[in-house]
Amino acid sequence: MGNKQTIFTPEQLDAYQDCTFFTRKEILRLFYRYRDLAPQLVPLDYSDKPDVMLPYELISSMPELKDNPFRQRIAEVFSEDGEGNMTLDDFLDMFSVLSEMAPRDLKAYYAFKIYDFNNDDYICKSDLEKTVNKLTRHELTPEEVSLVCEKVIEEADLDNDGKLSLEDFQHMIVRAPDFLSTFHIRI
Amino acid sequence: MTTRERIKAIQKMPKTMKEKREIRNKVLMEKTRKSVSYSTEIHCCTQCMYKIALSYRRFRNGLSELFQSLQLWQKTLKIIGGKFGTSVLSYFVFLTWLLTFNIFSFLVNFSFITIPQFIAAGSNNLSFTGLELLTGAGYFQQTVLYYGFYTNSTITKIENSTSYDMQLAYIFTIGIYFVICFFSLVYSMAKSFRNNFVNPHTYSGNAGKLLCIWDFNITNEKAVRLKQKNLSTQIKEALSEGKSEDLNLSLKQRMVHIAIHLAAWIFSLGTTAVCCTCVYYLSINNLKLFMKGDGTELENQAATLVLPIVVSLLNLLTPFIFSLLELLEKFQYPRNQIYVTITRNVILKMSIIGILCYYWLNIVAISATECWETLVGQDIYRLVVVDFLFCLLGSFFGEFVRRIIGTKCLKNLGVPEFDIARNVLGLIYVQTLTWIGIFFSPLLPAIQMIFFFIIFYVKKVSLMMNCQPPRKVWRASQMTTLFIFLLFFPSFTGVLSVVAITIWRLNPSEKCGPFRGLSSIFDAVSRWIDVLTNYPRSAWVVWIYHNLIESVHFFFILTVIIIIITYLYWQIIEGRKIMVRLLHEQIINEGKDKMFLLEKLRALQTSTRDTPARKGASQQFSTTSSLYQPPGQLDQQRHLSMPNYLERPLEKNKSTFSATPPYTADFPERSGFLPGDPQRQHPSTKPGVSEALALAMRARQQAEREMEDEDEEDFRS
Repeated sequence: MGNKQTIFTPEQLDAYQDCTFFTRKEILRLFYRYRDLAPQLVPLDYSDKPDVMLPYELISSMPELKDNPFRQRIAEVFSEDGEGNMTLDDFLDMFSVLSEMAPRDLKAYYAFKIYDFNNDDYICKSDLEKTVNKLTRHELTPEEVSLVCEKVIEEADLDNDGKLSLEDFQHMIVRAPDFLSTFHIRI
Repeated sequence: MTTRERIKAIQKMPKTMKEKREIRNKVLMEKTRKSVSYSTEIHCCTQCMYKIALSYRRFRNGLSELFQSLQLWQKTLKIIGGKFGTSVLSYFVFLTWLLTFNIFSFLVNFSFITIPQFIAAGSNNLSFTGLELLTGAGYFQQTVLYYGFYTNSTITKIENSTSYDMQLAYIFTIGIYFVICFFSLVYSMAKSFRNNFVNPHTYSGNAGKLLCIWDFNITNEKAVRLKQKNLSTQIKEALSEGKSEDLNLSLKQRMVHIAIHLAAWIFSLGTTAVCCTCVYYLSINNLKLFMKGDGTELENQAATLVLPIVVSLLNLLTPFIFSLLELLEKFQYPRNQIYVTITRNVILKMSIIGILCYYWLNIVAISATECWETLVGQDIYRLVVVDFLFCLLGSFFGEFVRRIIGTKCLKNLGVPEFDIARNVLGLIYVQTLTWIGIFFSPLLPAIQMIFFFIIFYVKKVSLMMNCQPPRKVWRASQMTTLFIFLLFFPSFTGVLSVVAITIWRLNPSEKCGPFRGLSSIFDAVSRWIDVLTNYPRSAWVVWIYHNLIESVHFFFILTVIIIIITYLYWQIIEGRKIMVRLLHEQIINEGKDKMFLLEKLRALQTSTRDTPARKGASQQFSTTSSLYQPPGQLDQQRHLSMPNYLERPLEKNKSTFSATPPYTADFPERSGFLPGDPQRQHPSTKPGVSEALALAMRARQQAEREMEDEDEEDFRS
């Protein structure tokens, strides 16, 4: 193929290609985007698997993420330490799930985790309230927010435990075919 | 698993990259260990297969990388999506997709038809004036642009080498192009239907979609704020609508509604009919003028432009009349409004194209003109060029001037929004014309390609300068599916019928074109088959032709088989729908059983603790038995301040409410509740268990009753 890159070993590149939805060129392009966030921290040679982690502030300053109301949750979900500080692996994983090629179930799984603010594997009412506030920039009154959340739970909660499980969420996704195209970040 | 399936399975796993890599490495090690332990014979075979699979995979990766580097305008699409969201982006993606059809057609036609023609070209005696670019006549008449210029001879460059039969090349190139387009459209349509089509029967309520509504594509700060504001407005509207009950229209009001709708439809169909007759008589007039040939050359050429200008004006203005109509009609759902708008516009555009095709195929083809195919080609060329100019003008007036008016003069109008439906339908119209024109003017897709390029940039600039992001919800996926479907039917199928009629039924002109002198264009193929019967090696081709293409029985049997398969699949789908409904009910029942059992256990635990009964709380608790609440004192305050919501489940679960008094009567000491630990065994649960089972049975009956209520609601809504 005539690849003269010296950043990754061929095995590493193959592994990345198998584990994400990206081609070699895209993986390299993403690496350069990762490096552009902090050129002094990220080495140009990854063949010895350096342990480099970029802090959340740098990740959230990316133009694709900086205005997204859910950027903190996205970074937390995909980061290894759960705080939003991402290694290159996490970075590639994040954009792979958010790319066009990822299947609906995978996206639904991660979207569920993003909206689950307290990480208890259920979207309960407080999670929903936080989501609605982020969606509307706190423009609704607390009563309206509460009402909306109760309506959502009423409609989507199939097994009637008052909170949404992953299955409820996936069932809801089936009724919203736009999800595949809206849960997508181009990079 | 094959390697590809293995890779796909790893990619789909919702685990971190580290875990996926470890799994992948483990699997690879297993595979190599297994392959080493095989005997050498089998090892050779599997090694061969492995090598083939590996090289194929590398080839596919390379191809996909090539396609990605060829994909135009990735950055521009990203900027547009970032500022305006997925809905407006879908228009530009559609435009790019149509562009690939035209590029492919141009490449195919140019290499197989035009280049050989250059070798055997005649001379062009006409002079070039600038007007040709607009009218397509004059100098262009004797160029490769039109059908009439192509030779009917077999071209040989060097003596005694293989000859190139222009007739067969013409038919087969265009035929194979249409076949490839057909399969590509069917594939896109099927993929789109599978991903995006939502069964309308399962549509129930908007609130659940709140979690799917955020568009992650939007990256511009202003756009994000606008979207957030729009969302909060939508939510407020939805809440206020929800508080007022559904419109229970009286019979008289419903009749009035239906009458208005009917009147609007009659008016729009009437307008369409008027437009079509206008176009028809204008075109007949045109032909008469052309045949007579009085007047100066310039006048004649200018006269030919009248028809395209009138057609484009009708296409531009009539949709505005339709939209005025819709202001009078009040639709209950905005979704219906969009569908009705699109239907009316599609009927208008396809009727105009239909009338024009009728005119071309029935009147021009039989007229005494010298080269009717070239005439038709010129007509289509003019239509395409004038439509392009009107598109630019429409963009200028519709967006730029409207913005000036909206911001400077009438301030309450505001900045315009990008009208996606109108623009996409315009694209479909122009692409239909191009496809019809391929047969009569093989290089028309090249011209259309250039126009699409220009339109992309013009629309993009106009969008960025003049428009604001859309306010209403636009279901981009469903709309895209609808547009792809419209592109296939009636657009592409109409084109196929026109080309089929041309090839099979019409007489080609005597003096021009590659099929001069034949009685029908398909005769060229029949003659070729006759020639082939003399060659024993090509007997299979002759056999296929006589028994598969020419015979009626084959198509009849094929049709019957396809109908049977379609019917079987339809029945399978119906069965699966019933299955889905049953499983849905089962989940609801299980949940309710769980709820009742949990309450029961909790009640038993608290009743044996002798805690003072908080009667007030227990009353409220019994009325909201279908909702699980987190423990704490917040609940009581919330109950008191949320009467609206309490009423709703009461109405919905009337049967449950009536059933709870006997339930509470059994356990009067039940108080608040603890965050019960259902696993804690209590001696008093033994007698309670059988009662719990009885309760579960009752719960199931109540759930069934509730499903009936829900069904009634569904039918009503």
